[in-house]
Amino acid sequence: MSAWRHWLAAWWSRRLPAQTRVKLGQKHIFIVPTMAGYAFAAALLLMLMVAINYQNSLAYALTFLLASVGLLSILHTWRNLAGLQLIGLPAEACFVGENARFPIRLQATRRTYQAIGLGWLRQKMLVTDVAKHSEQQVELSLAVKRRGKHSAERIRVETRFPLGIWVAWSQVDLAQSVLVYPKPIEAPLELAGVAAGEDAVEGLATAGRGVDDYQGLEAWQQGDSLRRVNWKAWSKGQGLWIKQFAELKGAQTQLNFSALGGDVEYRLSVLCAQVLKLTQQETPFSLQLLEQTIGPGTGAAHQAECLTALALFAGAEHG
Amino acid sequence: MLRQLENCLHAVNQVLLGKEHQVRMAMACLLARGHLLIEDLPGMGKTTLSHALAQVLGLSYQRVQFTSDLLPGDILGTSVFERNTGQFVFHPGPIFTQLLLADEINRATPKSQSALLEAMEERQVTIEGSTRPLPEPFFVIATQNPICQSGTFALPESQLDRFLMRLSLGYPNAEAERALLTRAITKRQAASLTQQIEKDELLKAQTQVSEVKVSDALVSYILRLVEATRTNAQFVYGLSPRGGLALLSAAKAWAFLAGRDYVIPEDVQSVLPQVVAHRLAHSAAGTGATDSTAVQWLLNEVAVF
Amino acid sequence: MAEHKIKPSIPRNSLIWLLIAQVLVILPLLWHVPLWIIGLWLVCAAWRIQVFRMRMQFPKAIVKVAMMVSAAFAVYLSRGSLVGLDAGVALLLTAFVLKLVELRSKRDALVLIYLGFFTVVTSYLFDDSILAAGYSLLSVTALLAALVGLQQTVLTGRPGKTVTQAAAILLQAIPVALLLFLFFPRLDPLWVLPAPKDKGVTGISDHMSPGDIAELSQSSELVFRASFTGEIPTQNQLYWRALTLPYFDGRTWHMQNMTSDLLAPEWQAQGDMLEYSVIMQPSSRTWLYSLAVSQTEQKDIRLMNDFRLQHNTPIHRTYLYQARAWPEALAEPKLSPEKYRFYLQLPHKVNPQARAWAQQLRQSYPDDESLVRAVLRTFNQGEYFYTLKPPRLGKHSVDEFLFATQTGFCEHYSSSMTFVLRAAGIPARVVTGYQGGEVNRAENYVQVRQYDAHSWVEYWRLGFGWHRVDPTFQVAPERIEQGLQEALRGESLNTGLLSPLSYRHINWINQLRISWDTLNYTWQKNVLGYQAERQKNWLKGLLGEISWQRIGVGLVITIALLFALISLWLFKPWQTRLSETQRLLKQFERLLAKRQYKREPAEGLRAFQARIQADLSPPQRMALDAFVHSYEQNEYANVPVPAVQLKQQLQTLRHSLAGR
Repeated sequence: MSAWRHWLAAWWSRRLPAQTRVKLGQKHIFIVPTMAGYAFAAALLLMLMVAINYQNSLAYALTFLLASVGLLSILHTWRNLAGLQLIGLPAEACFVGENARFPIRLQATRRTYQAIGLGWLRQKMLVTDVAKHSEQQVELSLAVKRRGKHSAERIRVETRFPLGIWVAWSQVDLAQSVLVYPKPIEAPLELAGVAAGEDAVEGLATAGRGVDDYQGLEAWQQGDSLRRVNWKAWSKGQGLWIKQFAELKGAQTQLNFSALGGDVEYRLSVLCAQVLKLTQQETPFSLQLLEQTIGPGTGAAHQAECLTALALFAGAEHG
Repeated sequence: MLRQLENCLHAVNQVLLGKEHQVRMAMACLLARGHLLIEDLPGMGKTTLSHALAQVLGLSYQRVQFTSDLLPGDILGTSVFERNTGQFVFHPGPIFTQLLLADEINRATPKSQSALLEAMEERQVTIEGSTRPLPEPFFVIATQNPICQSGTFALPESQLDRFLMRLSLGYPNAEAERALLTRAITKRQAASLTQQIEKDELLKAQTQVSEVKVSDALVSYILRLVEATRTNAQFVYGLSPRGGLALLSAAKAWAFLAGRDYVIPEDVQSVLPQVVAHRLAHSAAGTGATDSTAVQWLLNEVAVF
Repeated sequence: MAEHKIKPSIPRNSLIWLLIAQVLVILPLLWHVPLWIIGLWLVCAAWRIQVFRMRMQFPKAIVKVAMMVSAAFAVYLSRGSLVGLDAGVALLLTAFVLKLVELRSKRDALVLIYLGFFTVVTSYLFDDSILAAGYSLLSVTALLAALVGLQQTVLTGRPGKTVTQAAAILLQAIPVALLLFLFFPRLDPLWVLPAPKDKGVTGISDHMSPGDIAELSQSSELVFRASFTGEIPTQNQLYWRALTLPYFDGRTWHMQNMTSDLLAPEWQAQGDMLEYSVIMQPSSRTWLYSLAVSQTEQKDIRLMNDFRLQHNTPIHRTYLYQARAWPEALAEPKLSPEKYRFYLQLPHKVNPQARAWAQQLRQSYPDDESLVRAVLRTFNQGEYFYTLKPPRLGKHSVDEFLFATQTGFCEHYSSSMTFVLRAAGIPARVVTGYQGGEVNRAENYVQVRQYDAHSWVEYWRLGFGWHRVDPTFQVAPERIEQGLQEALRGESLNTGLLSPLSYRHINWINQLRISWDTLNYTWQKNVLGYQAERQKNWLKGLLGEISWQRIGVGLVITIALLFALISLWLFKPWQTRLSETQRLLKQFERLLAKRQYKREPAEGLRAFQARIQADLSPPQRMALDAFVHSYEQNEYANVPVPAVQLKQQLQTLRHSLAGR
């Protein structure tokens, strides 16, 4: 079974390789009868029996009309999938235990597509319509249990419209992937390099212009605040100078992987929770993951960088 | 008129050596009625460029040094109580000028930054309930230091969007650097440049830029570009509708400077890095992609037809 | 994971169409099923609607079983059986109605829709007129709309749009359906199925008492249509026999089956031959209508001993048959003694006066033929009247009619004449059937209605066989020559206010009526009558020799072609084609690609030109620039450049490149 599935997957990836944008065409779409279709055929057969046995021309006519409708709906069903464009949009990163959401955009150009089902293989379908010359965005969610970068599976896209007696389907790989961060675990934590109190201020670096610490005088430029002009010097005729201040950087908070106990995943989870917490508090921090150091810094970008590093962390196996 | 503009460019190139492309880009930005953000290290000629432009175009010029204690009032102006008349008199701030150089904009607090950016967007200032229009033309050149230091307030993406272009002057090439050293061009020389174009002419040029023809085929190309930024995984989020508009107006100005009254895809491609790079955020996955590689990707992948 | 399937519910759109379809499907069947089904249906529909409005629950399993069992029992009670077509249809309809209340999932809806299609087919067994067929298209469209609606997403869709879609598919399916209808081989019935029981079918019956035919003539219902290959014979030749009634019980003439009935009669064809075909309405009887003496090659029809044609099963559907007739044929010149006696049978002790008159005639006319003529003369010259409303007759009906009332309809005349002839020792019998008919000149056919019912007399002479005489002709010749309407000018035929026959005198209504009749005739002949025999003939005319294999292959190919056409129309591939300029650009790219100058998809044309022109000679550069410029003007500067010019410039470029 597994070998068969492997072979099938390989066949699909040859047929329709992973790409962000797929326009469903002739060679991607398959069409087969559904159970309802077989039932329809059986009903037609029954009607034909009536027609034959009662030699009733109208019964013949209706049977043939419906048979013809059934055959024709192959074209309609096929048409309801052909030319549809699927675009895999970048998935937002999420945490272990959450559902990763893969946004998919469906684009219709010349036709309206009705009742298009989208879903992972062998799972429930999401059904949506896409109007002519418009687009529709759907999200497929997938529970993720491990951190790291996960590629999305192939997506089955199908339609039974209009009569439900045929199903036109295809499998697409929209080359989507999602970054999964470790599950945040709140734990009491001794933060390495915690601010060492007032007496440690001497050792701290100044960080550009600020308002904390007097740094000296500078020549006045247009746009400089008048409130900082050194009026004393000016009154002595020494020209316009402004007092320059520098901001003191607070003590660096450092999150260190090695400083924690527990297994690797637990440690990553604890760090993850801390990164989230410190960012929320707008406390600058740095992250130390074995050889890799990130920061110090704060803000969304810094947080993303740290979380990414945590998600992709692979050093534990050989560390 | 085009000749006069060419003269302007030529004159600026006399003082800012080896930066023809950037100067032209700055001019296009001005013609498209956009504002310019220059991101560069100190000493690359930001001030020279802005001052020279002001001179050759005959624009009034102000420079504001942004600092962390700069208040909105320091930019926009304040009302001062006049003892002799017993009334409040408005003292216009440095923003009431035609060309404003906002130096090191990322040093100021977000409050001051947004005061400037709002004025840029609306081209008028509202203080104490009264609205005062800014002069025409109004052009802001803001500079910021690319190296993110602490104590700076990086412009948020929403504000970056207000700048039509982001430009980097970069180091001059060897030849220009040699000339720079030997000819010892100073800021004073920039001040000595003469006006090459009348104000009316400049305004007319701006109008003509907006009238440059844009075909359906070109609009589709821009749409494809915009869409590519929205759908490709390289970008966390794509260009906003305003981004698309900016691209179009910059391309128009570029076409105008090339002497054409219609836009071709090459115009769009020329201005694309300056217009879109600062509007696009990258995938946080840390693939090592920089702004320029992403823009390059756009240039290489989006078909022209 | 536990299999916990939530059955997909039915979209509102589908439910609406399902209810509409159900109404449409059931309506025409209401005349054929017990009335309580209507009540059941109303209850079920109301229940389902309340469920949809969340006012009620779906019935529990036990309730459902109880409903089904009691419905089946009710069918048994009202139909007397659970087998047979009537009971079958009643059961089908109850199932169709009951399914409504357990309509939860899409699958239930599907079952209901398929049941609906099947019910439409059964309704054709009761009524296959052109109107019924047209009406059933409505039902089928509604059912298809329900099927389409079932596939739509739950919240979207307007019912109108759904039905448009269904109708569109139905329309597109017609050509293929037509092909299948024409070419699909008509098979013989695989097994015998119960036939619908027709209630109150009027028509000739197997016995005749005074007043029966007069009653029949109140009906304007169509009996059959007959078309002739040649000229239509004159009205007085059109004696359509159905039955002979040889046995008289004093009041009523009966059909009597004899073993000899099954023997082929002895007869000789002579004189002119008529070729005709008849499309008859369902009669639920086995006898057919024919001109004497008729012969047919159809296997299921036989010529009975009394020269009537009989089908081996009752006619429950519109039936078409072809026959040839020899009006002057010599029919049964010899009669067996047993049969001779049989055709002289008379009840004892009735009609003494008539018997006496017969004896009297016998004495005056020893010759049979002159005796018959004398009887006819009596009718002709006596005070006899032809009327639809004769006075009631008592026990000695023949005596009373002949000597007292002297007014009657055809059955009075034929009955009394046969009586008199038999009493005089001449074998005779009453023949019932139809006489005349309305001629439709446009399509060359005769249309016979119930009011054309008639009865006449046949008597036998040794060596000459059976001979037809019509006493009615003596009394009311216009009845025979012009039809009943003319004969009974004074008496109003009770055709009803709404019947178009009441307005014969208004010309345009009459025209309209005749056109409608023509249409019906065409329908019956070409659609309903399109069975094995006709199909074979038609195909023979079309293709020569018939080989079902060749027809099969041809059919498949034609259907495939039709599908190709329809898909062309559906997909409209021409819409995706490039514009002229873009095609030229593609040509331009191919041309340069041959020279190893490959333009990247994201490369602007100007940039491309700049990249490659260093390699080119001045004339080539000029040609390249000319094309690029024109293309740019057209595509970006909104300055239309004629395609011819671009083509020319491309040609120039091609030449200049070739010239290198």
